[in-house]
Parts: sequence; structure tokens; C-alpha cells
Amino acid sequence: MEPIPPKGSPERDSMIKEHKECTESMKGVAGFSILKCKTQGDTTELEGGVHEHPHLKRVLLRMRGESVVGKLIIVCTKVEEEWRIARLSGIRGVPPEFVGDKVYTNEQDAQHDIFLMRLEELPETAGMPEHYNPGWKRRDDNWPVT
Amino acid sequence: MSAMRLTGYADKFGVHPGDTIKFLINCDGPSEYKAEIVQMINGDTNPRGPGFIEKPVPGSLDETFSGRKQIIHSGSYGFVEDCKALRVDSFTLQCWIWPTTPTTHPKYWKHGSQGLVTKWMDGKGYGLFINPDGHVEVRVNGATLTSAVKVRDHAWHFIAATFDAETGDLTLYHEPQIQYALDPVVEPVTTKVSEKISHTPVPAAIAAYGSEITDDPLAQSSLPAGVVFTGKYNGKIDTPRICKVALSRLEIETMKLGAQPGLTERRNSGPTGALSEVIVAAWEFSEGIDTIIAKDCGPYRLDARLVNIPTRGMTGHNWSGTVFDWKQAPKEYGAISFHDDDVDDARWEVDFEWTVPEDCKSRFYAAKLTTADGDEDYIPFWVVPRIGEEQSKIAVMVPTISYMAYANEHVACNAGAAELFVYRVPIMQHQNMFLAEHREYGGSIYDTHTDGTGICFSSRLRPILSIRPKYDHFLAQAPWQYPADLHLIYWLETMGYDYDVFTDEDLTYDGLARIENYNVIITGSHPEHNSGTQLDALHNYTQRGGRLMYMGADAWYWVHSFHPAYDDKGRGVVTEMRRCESGIRTWRADPGEYYHAGTGELGGMWRYRGRYLHSVAGVGMSSEGFDVSRYFSRTPDSNDPRVSWAFEGIEYDENLGNFGLVGGGAAGLELDIVDTTLGSPPHTLTVATSAGRHTEAYLLVMEDFGFNQQGLDGTTHPRVRGDIAYHETPNGGACFSFSSIAYCGSLPWNNCDNNISRLTKNVLDRFAMDGPLPAVPESEIKYRGRADYADVEGPVRLPA
Repeated sequence: MEPIPPKGSPERDSMIKEHKECTESMKGVAGFSILKCKTQGDTTELEGGVHEHPHLKRVLLRMRGESVVGKLIIVCTKVEEEWRIARLSGIRGVPPEFVGDKVYTNEQDAQHDIFLMRLEELPETAGMPEHYNPGWKRRDDNWPVT
Repeated sequence: MSAMRLTGYADKFGVHPGDTIKFLINCDGPSEYKAEIVQMINGDTNPRGPGFIEKPVPGSLDETFSGRKQIIHSGSYGFVEDCKALRVDSFTLQCWIWPTTPTTHPKYWKHGSQGLVTKWMDGKGYGLFINPDGHVEVRVNGATLTSAVKVRDHAWHFIAATFDAETGDLTLYHEPQIQYALDPVVEPVTTKVSEKISHTPVPAAIAAYGSEITDDPLAQSSLPAGVVFTGKYNGKIDTPRICKVALSRLEIETMKLGAQPGLTERRNSGPTGALSEVIVAAWEFSEGIDTIIAKDCGPYRLDARLVNIPTRGMTGHNWSGTVFDWKQAPKEYGAISFHDDDVDDARWEVDFEWTVPEDCKSRFYAAKLTTADGDEDYIPFWVVPRIGEEQSKIAVMVPTISYMAYANEHVACNAGAAELFVYRVPIMQHQNMFLAEHREYGGSIYDTHTDGTGICFSSRLRPILSIRPKYDHFLAQAPWQYPADLHLIYWLETMGYDYDVFTDEDLTYDGLARIENYNVIITGSHPEHNSGTQLDALHNYTQRGGRLMYMGADAWYWVHSFHPAYDDKGRGVVTEMRRCESGIRTWRADPGEYYHAGTGELGGMWRYRGRYLHSVAGVGMSSEGFDVSRYFSRTPDSNDPRVSWAFEGIEYDENLGNFGLVGGGAAGLELDIVDTTLGSPPHTLTVATSAGRHTEAYLLVMEDFGFNQQGLDGTTHPRVRGDIAYHETPNGGACFSFSSIAYCGSLPWNNCDNNISRLTKNVLDRFAMDGPLPAVPESEIKYRGRADYADVEGPVRLPA
């Protein structure tokens, strides 16, 4: 399993740089991926990102597979104008709660900020035996789909 | 962010000119709102496209109405009106249960006691419950007696309680049907209750208990009106019985047999003569599985009305695993699965109505609701011509069953791993935030119930916040379904075409008559969910020379049926599906639960009922991914004179659709391919393909492989692609398939001046002509194989 790269490591810094460049390049695309549009906002030619950086790809998959409880998500608060970051409750009937006051004016930048927040929150050994809990016997470990 | 204070729905999706459509509105806060009827042109707010467009409608409503709050009393239950037989002094209550949420988080939306079999309200009456700690509990008025251990979730238990009014003895039996080595023995518990049962007018309830009987206007949308139930239970209940005396444990065992009136000469109810004299009710959920009535086989005929469509055709405590169709062994299907978020009908009061002018064009419309404070909602509907009164030669088939399947979808909120398939952090819209809190609006067939079981019904008689303009779906980060289909509508309007519209319901009920007067039928971007009669009609249409333009992908995939119990409320009120052993499934049906309750037909993928996707329009789904879209390239087949007319004005080496409002390209989200071994006619021409262009977020569908393996994504697997394809059908008919959900998102680009628009126009102009299409050259009339092509070099590859 791919460890989450520790703070200050060159690996982490290069991942952050690649993620940021991909995020910027996707501005204008009606969709999003951690890939680089050769021309910003145009998916005709894609390069880099998860296709060329296997470590970044695996770290992103680890982050994406985390439990729904407290998971970071983006909420569009004004159509085409404003977005904010929130956390899912994991409890039916309890809506996501906003995290912080930052209001984004595009739908891409929050993707990068969430990547940075997760790098901070996830321990290097997330998902490894050090983090075993009884929930693993009850599908908590099985990337719940719905 | 602003809460949604205006929500509503109409009594129908499709309405004929001259007929009246009714609107039922919740206005929670503002004193009044304005209602207009508008024509919907474009629902996408993306600044790179034409922007949101609506048009005024001649003869429109333009009125202000008083606002009032209306609510949904969700959660399924059965009830029997109060009657003398139910007002017992002593009792025995018994049933099997398979609870799914015996305990819930304190913040869970319906945390608290759950009713099993009750005639209890406000500390008066009697009943069996699960208490908030997860123990089974019997209540006599305010007195309670609780089992020693919690009930195990997802396991069968036999539960019984007896109360003897003479002695005051109250006994509770909790008998787990699964015993593990380290389980304690669960003994019956007893106590004394000195008071007599107090009776109230509250109905007897199954899977709930009475909360209040009131004149409050908000209670009028409950059933019965004014009677509010709470304690909605999650899980299965099997064969409940009520007797009017305290039975012995042996008598309880005998009473499991139920009313049993069929013993040769004896016709009184009861497994024995003595027990027949004490039966109050003996419900057999195994009878009338295709109805919303729970039949009482006891002497009083206390049939229970089932509200909010709990799921039937569910395996009972005695299911043997040898029969898988409830019709063949109904006695093994005596369980009903109840859920606290089931909803079949919001049952709101009508707030206003609109009579469609006789000369109204068949188009996409909506009731637009606004308040002075900036609240806004749109309630879409479609004006559909009567058969024989068609207004155009072109018709758009609005995929309303698919809209219903996705109705009020919660996946981004419920599913932690939604990110894994969209390959980014999902974005929730204000509709999703509202639904995250208002679970009573019900979920989609993509969601699980609040207890984790799959949702297999969807009703259109409730506000459906996903069928809205200005709504981007997390899957696409762009319009999806209804607003995505408006891209096509914007294109038809901009290009100056005249067109009619009809819904999946219309075709399901009317059959071929609904479409045979049109020269061409155009689908929506994602008609994934279909009834059998709808597919029959499309086959019959193309066989007789009709032309079909399939504008998307992942169509003709899931078996749907409309539940017959709701036929009196209109066409297609509740649709049913089961997610069986294959296909892209956000949940998976349990063993033995693959057959629809409403029609008894086998659910799942049409492919596994021998109706291959590829046989309808020539292509079938092969992959999906949701990050970004790509583009198509022409193939040599596109130069074939049979189809080269479609590419007039388009150079051979042009990138087809490397632009668009869905994923940034015409090839994206879900993709179909030609496969002559899976039903594509062998003469199908693949005229363009997106092979080799897709990202690793795109994955081969699971029904196309049997062994988990690497190499299934768009960067490696050759079947991860979209194929634009053409084939002729008999009598001058044809199908043109564009094979990508994102395709329609490219039509509006650059004010519809682009090569995707050109290709689509070339096809539509030819398909819309009167009479049969021009005959193909005589040399093309030849016998062709499926896997076996004599004219293709290389090894013959047989299907798996």
C-alpha cells in the first residue's frame, strides 16, 4: 500500500506541485481530473497527472476511498459563482457542515485545497495494520459505494 | 446558503393539449409566490454555452398564490382502522422480524422506538416495539417489558407477547432463529401489569405506531388523513398475528400456522377449532404480493393498507433457497421489507392548475415558481399530442423512467466512495444539500435506504429536485439527464426544427401507436431504464421503416415496470427495478429477491433476459468514467456510400467534438460500442470511434469480463471507447447511434456551429424525410456472420 508522503518530503512537494498544475489547467472544463490540459480548459490533449505519476495516483485513490464520516466535499453555494468546502456527516438526515469560511469563486481551487487538507489529516500509515479497528469486520474497510 | 423554501410536483409528467395539469406546492415561509408556465430551452448555466434560456408561453398562467407549507410523511407501514375486534382486553401478538437498524445514532433522522405490530398512541393501547436501545419491547399502555438482549440486525427472530387481563401477566418471548456458539440463551421475560388496556381511535399499525390524530393541515398528507404515524420500522416483518387471549407457548407455536381455513370439511379459520375462536387477525404477506394490501386471512378480514410502498416479494424466515421467483413459492415470500424513508405519494393538496391550450405546441415546459425574496423552483412537464394529432414528423422520446430512476439521488452525500468513480471530489448543489437533510423526499434507485438496503421503487408523485434546470450533477460536474437533454432541445430550437415530445410512459402504455406516425424518433442522452413494452415498440417501429436517432449511451440497460397498484393515479406513477447479478450496481439485491413485486417479472439487466442492449439501436454500453470527455475520429466505414452522406461538410481527419459542455468533449461519461456478438446487426457501420483516448477513470463494464484483472481502463483496454454507428432496418428504416452521454453537450457549442452539430443535422435531415430511405446498392445485400467474418482478415474470435 502506498504511504501518505510525510510533511516536508520532496515527494510530497512534487505531488502538490503536480496536483496544483493539473487543477489550474482544468479551469474552463465542464468536468475535472488530475490530468493536465495542454491548453487550459481544452481536453483535446491531456498529459501528466495521474497518468504519469503513479505515486500521486495511488495517494489520491487512498484519499478517495476514505470513510464517508467526516469526508471533505465541495458544495456549490451560488450557481456558477461560489463554492465552499464541507464535511459529510455519515449520518442519514444530518447534512454536510461547512469547514471554515473560505469562499471559492471557481469550482477547481477547492479540489486542490482538499488535497492539501487530506495530506495534513491522513497519517503516513493510514489503512495499514497500525490503524486496524473492529469496523474492518463490518465493511467499514470496503469503500462503501452508497 | 439559502434553503429551498419552494418545492413542488405536478400530478402528471405528460399532458395533452386541452387537458389540465395540477401542481402541488410546498411554500415554506414566504406568504405568497408567483406561478408562470414557461417553455424550457436550455437549462445549463455554464458561461461557455448559451446560458439558461426559457421562453414565455402563449396562454400561460401568470398568477400569485398564497404560500403554505406541505410536508411528506415518509416511511412505509400498514394500517387497519380502529374497530371493535382490535379493542382487546387480553392479547397475543406474534411475528417474525429481520431488523436492519435495531439501534441508530442519536442524531439519526428518525432515532427512537420502532413499531412492529401496534395499536398504541400516546401511552394508551398495546403493541410490540423495538426500543431505542435495540431491545424488543411489549407495551400495555405506559407499562413496558423488554427482552434481555438486543435483537441482532440482519437476522431472523421470532417475537411474541401475551397479556392476560385477568391475572395481569405480561410475557415477552424473543427467540433468535440464528444461534452462534457464544450467544447466551434468551429466556422469556414476564411481569405483572395491573391496569386494563386503554383504547383510542388510533388504527392498528404494522411497522409504525400512532403519534397523533389531528386537524393540523400538515397532517392531511398522511394516510389516513389526519392520523400521523411515527416509529417507522426498518427491516422485514413476516406473518404477524393478533389473538384476543394470552396463548400458551405451545398455542403460539400452533398459531404460526395462521388462519388455515382449508381442512377438508372444516371451514372456520384457525389452525385448531379452539384457536379459531380467538383470532383477531392473521395476516399473510405471501398473498397479494403485487398489491398494496396486506391480506388478513382471519375472520374479520382486517386487510391492512400498505402506505409508501414497502418492498414485497422479499424472502421470508422460511425461504429455502431452492426457489427464486416469489410466484412459484409465495409461502416462502411472506416477508415485507419496510423502510423509514419509503415514499409512494407526497399526497399534497393541489395549489393551482393549468389547462393546456388546444393549440399548444408539444414541447418541454415547466411551472416556474418565484417569490419576492428570490426563491425559485421549476416543475418540468411535457405537452404530448394525442395519438393521431401529431404536430411534427420528428419526435423526442423523453426518458422519464430514467429521470425517475435518478430522482432525488443522494450518492455524493451517502457514498464515501463516490469520489472513486468520479475521480475527483464531488460537488453538491443546493438541491443535494436540501435532500441530505430532508430524507422524507425519498431517494433514487441509485441510493440505498437509510438502513442500507437498496431502493427499488421511485415515485413521480413527490418533488423531484434532480429533474430541474440550473442543476449540475456530481457525476458529470455538468448537466445530467433532464438538464443535459435540454442541450438537445436548445439545438433543435436553434436549428429551427419542429418537433414533438412524448415520455417513456406514453410509449410504455400506447405501444407502436405512439410513434408510428413519426418519421424519426430522437432519444435523450441517457435512456438507461426501460419497460419491456417500450423496447417492443422501438423494435416494431424500426422494423416497419421508422428511424431512430440514439443520442447518448448506456441505454436499454435495466428492466423496469410500473407498479400496477398505482394505475388509478395515472400513468407510470411508481417504477420498480431490481439490481441483480450483473451490471453497474450501486447496490445489489439479496439472493432470492430478483423478481419485481408489481409485475412478477425477472428484474436486472435486459441483457440477462436475452434482450441485448446492442439489438435496439446497434450499440451497447461498454465503459464509463466521469472525469473528462474526449473526441471521436472518423473510420474508413464513414466513407461507405451507405453512410457517407452523414459526413457532408466534415473533413475525414477532423477531431469530432473536442469541445463541449459535458466533460469538455463529445465522447464521455458512458460509452457504447458496436458488438455483433451482442446484438449489433452484422451490417452495422462503425463510422467514428474514440478508441484509445479515454482516461484511466474510464473502466470496462463488469458484464464484459469474468475475471478481475488489470488493464480495464481507458489507457489500456480497447473496449473502452465510444463507437458512432449506423445501420439500416427493414422497409427503409435506420438507426444512428451517437454512443456517448456527453455527445449532446457538444451540440450547443459555438452557437451550434460545429462538426457535431453538422453530423447530427445531416442525419436528422435524412431521417426526417417522408417515405423509406433510399435503397442500398444491390451489392450490399449479402449474408453476414456475427463473430465469423469471411471478409475480415485475421483470426476469427468467438464470443466468450
